[in-house]
Amino acid sequence: MSDDPLITPRAVHGRAPDVFHPGGWVPMKEYPLREPVDFVVIGTGAGGGPLIARLAEYGYSVIGFDAGPYFRPLEDFASDEASQSQLFWTDERLVDGANPLKMGANNSGRAVGGSTVHYAMVSLRFRPEWFRSRTLLGYGTDWPLDWREMWRYYVQAERDLSIAGPVSYPWGPKRPRYPYRAHEINGAAEVLARGAEAMGYKWAETPLATVSAPRGDSPSCVYRGFCRVGCSTNAKQSQLVTYIPRALAAGAEIRDLAMVGRIEVDAAGRACGVHYHRNGAWHFQAARNVIVAGYAIETPRLLLNSATDRFRDGLANSSGLVGRYLMTQSNQAVYGVMDEMVRWNKGPPSLTITEHWNYDDRKDFHGGYCWMAQGPLPVEWSAAMSGSRKLWGARLREKMADYNHQVGLKMVGEMLPHPDNRVSLANEKDRYGLPVARVTYSWHDNDKAMIQHALGEMQRSLELVGAKDIWRQENDTNHLAGTARMGNDRKSSVVNADCRSWDIPNLWICDGSVFPTTGGVNPSLTITAIALRTADRIQMLQQTGQLNF
Amino acid sequence: MVNTRTPTGAPRNALALLGSLTGAALVGALYSRSQPTVAHSPTKTPVPDFAKANLAARRLNRAAGTLALSVLFDSALEHYRGQFRNRAMYTPLVTAAMALGVSAHGTMDQRQMPHVVRDTVYVLTAIAGLAGTGFHLFNVRRKAGGVSWQNLFYGAPVGAPIAIGLSGLLGYLSERVRETPSGQAPMVWGLPAGRVVGIASGLGMAGTTGEAGLLHFRGGFHDPFMYLPVTMPPVTALVLGRTALGPAGTERRATRWWLRATAILGLSGSAFHAIGVGRDMGGWRNWEQNILNGPPIPAPPAFTGLALAGLAALSLLEDHPDD
Ligand SMILES: Cc1cc2nc3c(=O)[nH]c(=O)nc-3n(C[C@H](O)[C@H](O)[C@H](O)COP(=O)(O)OP(=O)(O)OC[C@H]3O[C@@H](n4cnc5c(N)ncnc54)[C@H](O)[C@@H]3O)c2cc1C
Ligand code: SF4
Repeated sequence: MSDDPLITPRAVHGRAPDVFHPGGWVPMKEYPLREPVDFVVIGTGAGGGPLIARLAEYGYSVIGFDAGPYFRPLEDFASDEASQSQLFWTDERLVDGANPLKMGANNSGRAVGGSTVHYAMVSLRFRPEWFRSRTLLGYGTDWPLDWREMWRYYVQAERDLSIAGPVSYPWGPKRPRYPYRAHEINGAAEVLARGAEAMGYKWAETPLATVSAPRGDSPSCVYRGFCRVGCSTNAKQSQLVTYIPRALAAGAEIRDLAMVGRIEVDAAGRACGVHYHRNGAWHFQAARNVIVAGYAIETPRLLLNSATDRFRDGLANSSGLVGRYLMTQSNQAVYGVMDEMVRWNKGPPSLTITEHWNYDDRKDFHGGYCWMAQGPLPVEWSAAMSGSRKLWGARLREKMADYNHQVGLKMVGEMLPHPDNRVSLANEKDRYGLPVARVTYSWHDNDKAMIQHALGEMQRSLELVGAKDIWRQENDTNHLAGTARMGNDRKSSVVNADCRSWDIPNLWICDGSVFPTTGGVNPSLTITAIALRTADRIQMLQQTGQLNF
Repeated sequence: MVNTRTPTGAPRNALALLGSLTGAALVGALYSRSQPTVAHSPTKTPVPDFAKANLAARRLNRAAGTLALSVLFDSALEHYRGQFRNRAMYTPLVTAAMALGVSAHGTMDQRQMPHVVRDTVYVLTAIAGLAGTGFHLFNVRRKAGGVSWQNLFYGAPVGAPIAIGLSGLLGYLSERVRETPSGQAPMVWGLPAGRVVGIASGLGMAGTTGEAGLLHFRGGFHDPFMYLPVTMPPVTALVLGRTALGPAGTERRATRWWLRATAILGLSGSAFHAIGVGRDMGGWRNWEQNILNGPPIPAPPAFTGLALAGLAALSLLEDHPDD
């Protein structure tokens, strides 16, 4: 039998891969198909991972499904950019709209551990006001969550992921000290710092989910910068090496290479299990609760694909909002060349940050953005130079020679929610015979104004530190959110504050798709904090007899 | 909830073993007999014994040498890591090596007179320590962010050069103790030598605690044993300081134990750091990188050096009551 994790499931026969030891195994509980488990969680990423772990630790029977492979980073990840594609969701998706999204490497992972296996580890908190952006800032919509409660779950998430961050964070309300100290900053990060200081803005070391000292069986980061290829040392605190091992130890089962195609609903209108494809065949797993955590494209797709006679527009969709209010984040960049050697690829890519424009409201557009230092690997860099700067042949080769002197600043900006930016079903089918997702996206005026503002600011910052040959990468976007927004009432949202769907009481959605607005910071820590809260809420509801299963 | 903080397998076993050994050694130090001291009767002023002064001086040479050894290897590692970007980065290697050499010489030298080469080297070493501190401060201030945690953690360690300066100071004090004329109690700068050495080692220990504290804070105190060098040595420094300022000529069992415990801690610290090196990527098989990036193996014995100096001070105090 092949040991290729992309072809043959590894979590079988009562054991799962030991992510910390090449060829190693850890024991894993297995649940029978016919007997309903307490929870089936679809997706094991930033949202699914912590849920599986916490629910199992509360004593529930839990199975986590993931369409992706179960890697052992130490043996499966090469320090090689070309091997990166194995981590992405590269199945077909249709894109359209005025600014079609580029799907794949930039926004969707597929692996046990989800996108966190290859994310850039930036672990930021929302600005408190964003949870009430309509009331306090006049745009978007309010969340049903209170920032003070979120602050508590951020602490828990940061502890669980051993976030390495600055001793004191310069923006927002006080937060407790990060569990690990910030990493040493590299040349590119120092350029951001000098630029920010020249502009009179504060800067900080970026809080990152990679350890600056050993933790358990994780060694400290070795600063080679292959983070998005999948960290081959386990310094990166992805869900794969944090929550998933905890989940297994607490009695959860993980089913890798298991694509859920449909959620089954019984005659009473309750979810009763999932149909999934594994080892070349469809199976049915019975469940008392189903939690969807497949991220902003696959979550609505699954809900829409699970339509029944009773729920003709898809599950949890009486509001008609499933798939709507898709948001991405603007990810434009400005690059330049320094006289001195910088070596921007050494270390995690985003070692410093300025959140100045997340906290300063004196601007003529809504929403906020931050920018971070950059360090793309050579192939990614040449792709940016050819794709965005339109350089080819000898010119490209010549510019690539500057690689070690290159610097860059990249924004993460809040795009505003619009109902027409959405995920719907196309007529085309994928290899499982399931309709593929159609992703429609257009930037609106506010988005464009913010992007121009950010490009100007980042350019000024680079000019102030003496960078030359400056150019702007204007077309990039990255993280996704929305498509199953949470809210205070069933007409204007898909789930409530507990991530419980309004329509089907035992169907939950808990991932990046519940965001009503996306904020000007990378989303994963907020997703994880919401998942931790949801697990606690489930336990509370069950203990007070409000779940009935 | 499973414990995901502590490592599994060999590192965990090694930590447990070393922790127990250290504990046993600390208990052992409690019961090991202290140096026989002359029983002083309060009525009779004892005649100062110059052999004892020589012994104390040689103990101080040993302490200075231990510190120099720690600095030699530590600065060699750290400055190699910094690729000797600046010529001045060879200075601590040269001075520490010389201090180590003259300390070895002094430790074996039974003569009562100071030695001009030793004396000179020790003075130079002390000056080099001061200069190095200046250099390191300059390096930190020059970086983006100035004096910030980032630069204190990862810039040139401000406290490190002080260790070699202390080695020079202890050596210098050793020479002063050694030149005590027959029949007199050892004095330095017009003060009883035991007290001066005691205070100097106590202050040195407090400073070294600061350095260990900074670096262990940088390491997030990720292992509970990392609290040891920031909790025990400060107590030792206090106890030693009190003894150095208190009445002399009495036996100080508690002080002696704290000093011995700190000496032991300095040595086991190196072993703890070796385990830490093994926890980095590739473990000891990748020693060439991990020795540079992991916890510095040669650093903790600086505590041992200072504790040995403290013990020398203690003997001086016990042997030469000055009040
Ligand atoms: C290159 C890159 C860099 C990033 N960097 C950062 C960063 O630095 N900081 C940050 O905060 N965020 C970052 N992100 C975004 C972050 O990773 C995501 O926002 C976050 O992981 C989303 O969490 P999630 O739980 O919603 O989904 P994911 O983590 O994507 O997990 C979803 C999982 O569900 C599985 N799945 C989906 N549908 C099904 C199905 N039907 N059946 C079975 N399994 C299914 C998928 O295989 C996937 O593994 C980055 C993303 C990418 C792609
Ligand atoms: S730089 Fe650090 S986090 Fe990134 S891949 Fe290397 S070890 Fe992992």
